[in-house]
Amino acid sequence: MGFIAEGFQKALHLIFSGNAEIFAIARLSLMVSVLATAAAVLVGVPLGSWIAVKKFPLKKFLIALINTGMGLPPVVAGLVVMLFLARSGPFGFLNWLYTPAGMIIAQIIIATPIIMALSVSAMQSVDPKFYQQMLTLGAGDWQAIKVCLKEIRLSVLAAVIAGFGRLVAEVGAVMIVGGNIRHQTRVLTTATVMETQMGNFDSAIALGLILLALSFAVNLALTLIQQDRALPR
Amino acid sequence: MIKLSNLRLGFDTGFNLEVASLNVRAGEVFAIIGPNGAGKTTLLNTLALLRRPSSGSLEIMGKDALAAANKMFLRRAMSVVFSQPYLLNDTVYRNVALPLKLRGRKDPAAVEEALELFKISHLKGRSAKTLSQGESHRAALARAFVIRPGLVLLDEPFASLDERVKDSIIADLRKVVKASNAAVVLVTQDQSGALTLCDRLAVIVNGKILQQGAPQEIFSRPVSAEVADFVGVATILPGKIVSKKENLCAVEACGRTLMVVSDCEAGDSVFVCLRPEGVSVSLSADAGGRRNNFKSTVVSAAPWGLEYKVELDCGFALQAAVTKQLVEGLELKAGGEVYASFKATAAHLIKRG
Repeated sequence: MGFIAEGFQKALHLIFSGNAEIFAIARLSLMVSVLATAAAVLVGVPLGSWIAVKKFPLKKFLIALINTGMGLPPVVAGLVVMLFLARSGPFGFLNWLYTPAGMIIAQIIIATPIIMALSVSAMQSVDPKFYQQMLTLGAGDWQAIKVCLKEIRLSVLAAVIAGFGRLVAEVGAVMIVGGNIRHQTRVLTTATVMETQMGNFDSAIALGLILLALSFAVNLALTLIQQDRALPR
Repeated sequence: MIKLSNLRLGFDTGFNLEVASLNVRAGEVFAIIGPNGAGKTTLLNTLALLRRPSSGSLEIMGKDALAAANKMFLRRAMSVVFSQPYLLNDTVYRNVALPLKLRGRKDPAAVEEALELFKISHLKGRSAKTLSQGESHRAALARAFVIRPGLVLLDEPFASLDERVKDSIIADLRKVVKASNAAVVLVTQDQSGALTLCDRLAVIVNGKILQQGAPQEIFSRPVSAEVADFVGVATILPGKIVSKKENLCAVEACGRTLMVVSDCEAGDSVFVCLRPEGVSVSLSADAGGRRNNFKSTVVSAAPWGLEYKVELDCGFALQAAVTKQLVEGLELKAGGEVYASFKATAAHLIKRG
């Protein structure tokens, strides 16, 4: 039991002594997850909303496919992205394998179905006549979707929180695509795995604590926005 | 403003909307009334370009409304108000200003004017979610008129309102409509609301418009038993015209002879339609010049709005609408003997078959 307490002690020392490497890792983690979440929101929310309000053949099949994507194993996403970005792969010319850009791509593929599926379901909770009312007030399709999204912003923010939460804790895909290269692609999750495997529990605990704190800070910010919007009720 | 012909819209359920012709002129209020499930809302949604008919032609403001290229232009020239106000979770002002915002326009004067017209200026800073039902409907109407639309479509706009609130909103809406040159199509089950607002009326039953014209004409001269039944003609009797002198027809119905003024010909099989308001009840056999007078037995007398509806048996079932004072004065109660009379012009004949 002593090594756990000792680990915590050293972890706090590492954090508060301002260890540059740990903070660089934390910064990269945050950047990759935030950018990937933002990109997934930009794709997932409008597309999910459009799928929800439009009628077209195989709509239910498509929604089932998106829902399946919510459970996409990150290692599978990582493997596919690695194969595409590998030197001999179709996008090898980009030289994105083992770079933060490649990690972001893998994370976008993981987060987009989550955010899209939750957006479909949030948009389907809007009364179809509300959407029709917006059309009859002179809105184009995208304008009407935008107005509806504003009405269900709490659910949309919940989708963003779910997407970010999944990404910031994700390890399999970033390990495969990023390669956990020191000073380049090492993020909090991959570093934690590595330090644990090496028996450096103090560093692993420190990284774990920073990861939790980071995740809490971002979720707190999003939740504050969400609940602030909920206040008028 | 609206020219519609041979419109057809089918559903998997087997229900078909089939409208041979419908014309609505600029500046008029055209009401479409009919029972539940008659196709009123489907027709209105078609006019609002929310549903596409499988065949037929629809012209709105001189443009082919079924051409995709005209859809946005026409949608932006009209407003629709549904039975639910569908307001945003925002202030009343921003709700009313929304149609302008969607058109990329800013016109604070128009918003203020619309708020003023529907008497909700004092609520403009309030959250729309805190409004009463009546206030929400006023906001929805202000939002509809803020763009000064050429066409306004109202789908059961007063369905969820109590009588007092409904009457006050209808009074204000009437003023706004008369002051604008907009064509208004009102879809409703509420005959009194329709009558207060409309210049012309159409009755739709089972997906078909059975009659359209001036309200007075439809209520006094329904063309079919279905229309008569919906517009409140309480007595509908099958009969046959046995003789005719000038316009006065003698109709054999339920073993009695009724005298009715009509254009129908001798030998025609007809329905005799009679509204309760057209029937008088008295204790004396003197019909006071009315050509139809029958000794009757009172079956029941029950309150009916501000009046009483008296069910009579005079060889056939007959309904009369009378005042409370008359019910009390004549002591009308079940089993009592009275005389029921009506003028030859009070009844209306509909050709059968």
